Amino acid sequence: MEREHRSLWLLAAPFLIGVVVLVAAPALLTVVMSTFEWDLVSRPRFVGVANFSELLKDDIFKISLRNSLWYVAVSVPLKLVGALCLALLLHRRARTGGAARGAVVLPTAIPDAAWALVWLWILNPLAGPLNLTLQTLGLPTPAWLTQPGAARWGVVLIGALQLGEGFLIALAARRGVPRHLHEAAEAVGAGPWSRFAQITVPLMAPALLLVACRDAVASFQATFVPALLVTGGGPPPHATTFLPLFVYRNAFEYLRYGYAAAATVVMIVVSASIVWLMIRIVDRWRGGLVEPVPVG
Amino acid sequence: MLVAGDPFELAAYREVVEASGLAVRLIEVTERDELIARLSSSIAGGEPPDLFLLNYRYHSQFMATGAVAPMQPFVDRSEILAEGDFYPRVLDVFREDGALTCLPQNAATLVVYVNERLFSSAGVPLPAAEWMWDEMVGRAQLLTRDLDGDGVVDVHGLGVEPEIIRIAPLVWSVGSELVDRENEPTRFALANPVAVSAVQAFLDLRSRFEVVPTDEEAESQDLESRFLAGRIAMLIESRKVVPSFRTIESFEWDVAPLPPIGDPANVLHSDAYCLTSASDHKEEAFRFVEFALGPEGQRILSEAGRIVPVRPDIAESEAFLDPQEAPASSQVFLDQLATTRALPRIAAWPEIEDAANALVEEAFYDPVGGAEAGELVLALIAETRPLFGRQG
Repeated sequence: MEREHRSLWLLAAPFLIGVVVLVAAPALLTVVMSTFEWDLVSRPRFVGVANFSELLKDDIFKISLRNSLWYVAVSVPLKLVGALCLALLLHRRARTGGAARGAVVLPTAIPDAAWALVWLWILNPLAGPLNLTLQTLGLPTPAWLTQPGAARWGVVLIGALQLGEGFLIALAARRGVPRHLHEAAEAVGAGPWSRFAQITVPLMAPALLLVACRDAVASFQATFVPALLVTGGGPPPHATTFLPLFVYRNAFEYLRYGYAAAATVVMIVVSASIVWLMIRIVDRWRGGLVEPVPVG
Repeated sequence: MLVAGDPFELAAYREVVEASGLAVRLIEVTERDELIARLSSSIAGGEPPDLFLLNYRYHSQFMATGAVAPMQPFVDRSEILAEGDFYPRVLDVFREDGALTCLPQNAATLVVYVNERLFSSAGVPLPAAEWMWDEMVGRAQLLTRDLDGDGVVDVHGLGVEPEIIRIAPLVWSVGSELVDRENEPTRFALANPVAVSAVQAFLDLRSRFEVVPTDEEAESQDLESRFLAGRIAMLIESRKVVPSFRTIESFEWDVAPLPPIGDPANVLHSDAYCLTSASDHKEEAFRFVEFALGPEGQRILSEAGRIVPVRPDIAESEAFLDPQEAPASSQVFLDQLATTRALPRIAAWPEIEDAANALVEEAFYDPVGGAEAGELVLALIAETRPLFGRQG
């Protein structure tokens, strides 16, 4: 047993070292840096919580936070439902299944910058294929890059198709649902919806929760490349300035690393709160599904 | 050496490096933001570039932190470069307490690029050597045309970026000031009728006269590309577009002075070489500066079209004024130098400019129309005041 434990630690070691060196330590340093005023060049000056106080008064920060929360609220369910639907649709072995699954995963494999530049063309308000198609169909053609609401939805659209990782997890989870459970339910007269709601979803729930938590955390960062390369944080007033862009500009353009670190700390706390809330909601939901059987 | 620029610009720097015969490694980036990010992080990482080239509007944030080694002692010792080699008006922008901090490589101003074919096909006279803002707007109205009658404007009379640095010369032109104190500004000083009238003249280009592309049109195809495609008759820009405009074969083009509302005024666009304090190779880096800002280096960059030389001996020579190379009226850039002013050099300026540009863009493309300069001015003052106040 002890030997088995040691092997497990050895297997996990590279990842644990990676997490400590690349995630935990930088996160800790970010917290420390958030209490300093520092431009990376001159000597840092301790300012306590002054950076956080300034954030509370900073309108652009408040807009960025609101934009990021809106993005998470819209994007995470959209991608989760998308990944689930595609997993349900494509989990069976079929002749074109492999190609279809490959097509779903492909956008995730494309580098973010290249993907954003493709969308810069797709969302072009006058010459882009999306608006030309909508126009041909007689549908409204949103000004994707110039109207605040449309621009925000444009950023959601850019991220929505990059659901390959969530799709793969959902696909594996769907394939893990034992077939005999469906057959048994069918035998006692359960319909397709009932089987889906009572068997498929509960058994896939842990995997879907993992996808949702991962997307909630990733969504805070996923806006950076499209906001930087496609919308530039605009159109005014800061319609697509999300937290990562706010952090980037303050750190790298205005050399306010302490202030940017404070905004990052807020982003970490908000991300953690969202994940905690999601776990609580799912726990309660699962608790409600499994009624305890009275004994005696 | 760390430089930012488009492919034309970077090719010209490579040529200068090669011609210098010195062992210089160019660190190339495409955007100014990227350059600032690399510069600050490399200084923090203890491996700064020996030399970097950056617009004066972004110098102060590095000056304030002592990251830049003053250039004055190197110039004083130099047997190749002397202060008298430069246009004094431009060189003075790079002085702090009288001492040179960095050394400018160019002395560009804003001009109006003119598509001569569109002027002749519309029967509109080309700009005169001395013309006024209203005359430019009048011509722009005549040149803004729907050529195929489908209700969509095919050619716009004018193109201009909605930015505070484009508004600045108009404000100076009517005798007002952009900021309250030139050396230590605390706010924008635009809350007066004459400044508001200048800002309104700028906003009217879109909201009243509709001579510039809409927001959607500008997003769909940027102004430089529109000029290249023959879809803009006039474009207000600095010298930086000349290398790409020299690829135009389908029409003739030239430059005209930036027309004033009142007195002539223009805004300086100048990049400068700066030595980093932490560099271990300052002397060697300065050897390259001596070459790049010497006659040969300036001639190479000048012939590439990218710069308005900062040395009168090159700027007033055929290397810059060659009548065989477009624009034929390059002399316009030099004529405007006498009335050119610099923007504030303070550490928070990049952030102030970004905040101001967002407001200017919003008002310029106001979808409701009839954008009010008074409201814009009040918003500019209110939203940037805390940023001015953050000066160290």
